[in-house]
Amino acid sequence: MSKLKLASYWAAACGGCDVAILDINEKIIDLANVADIVFWPLAVDFKYADVEAYADGYIDVCLFHGAIRNSEGEHIAKLLRQKSKVLVAFGSCAIAGGIPGLANFKRRDDILDRVYIQSDSTQNPERVFPVTRYQVLEGELELPEFYKEVKCLADVVDVDYFMPGCPPTATQVWAVIQVIASGNLPPKGAFVGCSNKTMCDECEREKTEKKVKKFYRPHEIMVDPKKCLLEQGLTCMGPVTRAGCGNQCTSANLPCRGCYGPVDGVIDQGAKYISALASVVDADTPEEADRIISEIVDPAGTFYRYGLPGSLLRRAK
Amino acid sequence: MKRITIDPITRLEGHGRIEIFLDDSGAVENCYFQIPELRGFEKFCEGRPAEEVPQIVSRICGV
Repeated sequence: MSKLKLASYWAAACGGCDVAILDINEKIIDLANVADIVFWPLAVDFKYADVEAYADGYIDVCLFHGAIRNSEGEHIAKLLRQKSKVLVAFGSCAIAGGIPGLANFKRRDDILDRVYIQSDSTQNPERVFPVTRYQVLEGELELPEFYKEVKCLADVVDVDYFMPGCPPTATQVWAVIQVIASGNLPPKGAFVGCSNKTMCDECEREKTEKKVKKFYRPHEIMVDPKKCLLEQGLTCMGPVTRAGCGNQCTSANLPCRGCYGPVDGVIDQGAKYISALASVVDADTPEEADRIISEIVDPAGTFYRYGLPGSLLRRAK
Repeated sequence: MKRITIDPITRLEGHGRIEIFLDDSGAVENCYFQIPELRGFEKFCEGRPAEEVPQIVSRICGV
């Protein structure tokens, strides 16, 4: 069997997904035995022109990280879709917008103003903003269009598989590469490198009846390292988050922030979490319920931390 | 005038493009470095609780 042709690309991303691939450590040698890299800006010097020259379907598997923030991201997503047999939305950003998706709580013009005018390190008295076309003496320069909102990969192209996590853990990355190399591909649309249970199902903290009288911020309490974080009044997203990360945050006494997204069948992780909270708040009166819930700081930015563009809300108006 | 486009620049975190313009003799007339990527952490960190910010801004660069 000939070697797989593998591509990895980032749109609006941080590179952490690429590093998660490198975090398979010495198994990268085994990867080289089964796959040739044909495009991977983080690690290898291929250009967009090289990808454009490939025949359609030339790439066997493309791992696409990052959200679609601008016209370049969308253009490259479409190019890689055309050139790839299998396209994987790899990581929270590609699947649901991820951290860059928090920008959908803000207006486009306010983001540009904050970055290019108000930021302390910027001196821009002429109020120059990026433009898509700019004439210089020698010719015309182009920049991508900064979209009004962040999109998910599946909003702009057909996606074959989804691999969640911010980033996906290295052990899951390696497991998925082995599955791909074996040729035994799961059904189209499957979530891979994860479980379909919730974080709570795999969490070993002691759980009793959840009765929350007060929600705390981390500095307001000493966290009991053995007990359920939600029962202690921390807004842990474990009840509504797909397992697969190895419970890294909760193991470090940090409440889950939901980076693996919801389990199959749940279309809005934040709404599901609001429903979960409603069942754990221990209030005797509506006024007390209001008080307890109102103590949660930044509920929208917490419940939709990694998935606002992929949620039912998509964006603030 | 000849134009050389290096797109993308590679083996670093982030997006970049370099446009080089050569004169008729082949010498570099001018060179432009462009960053076609903006996410806007400066803005979307506003309103987030201070204790959450380290986890958010660690996604500026994961390399």
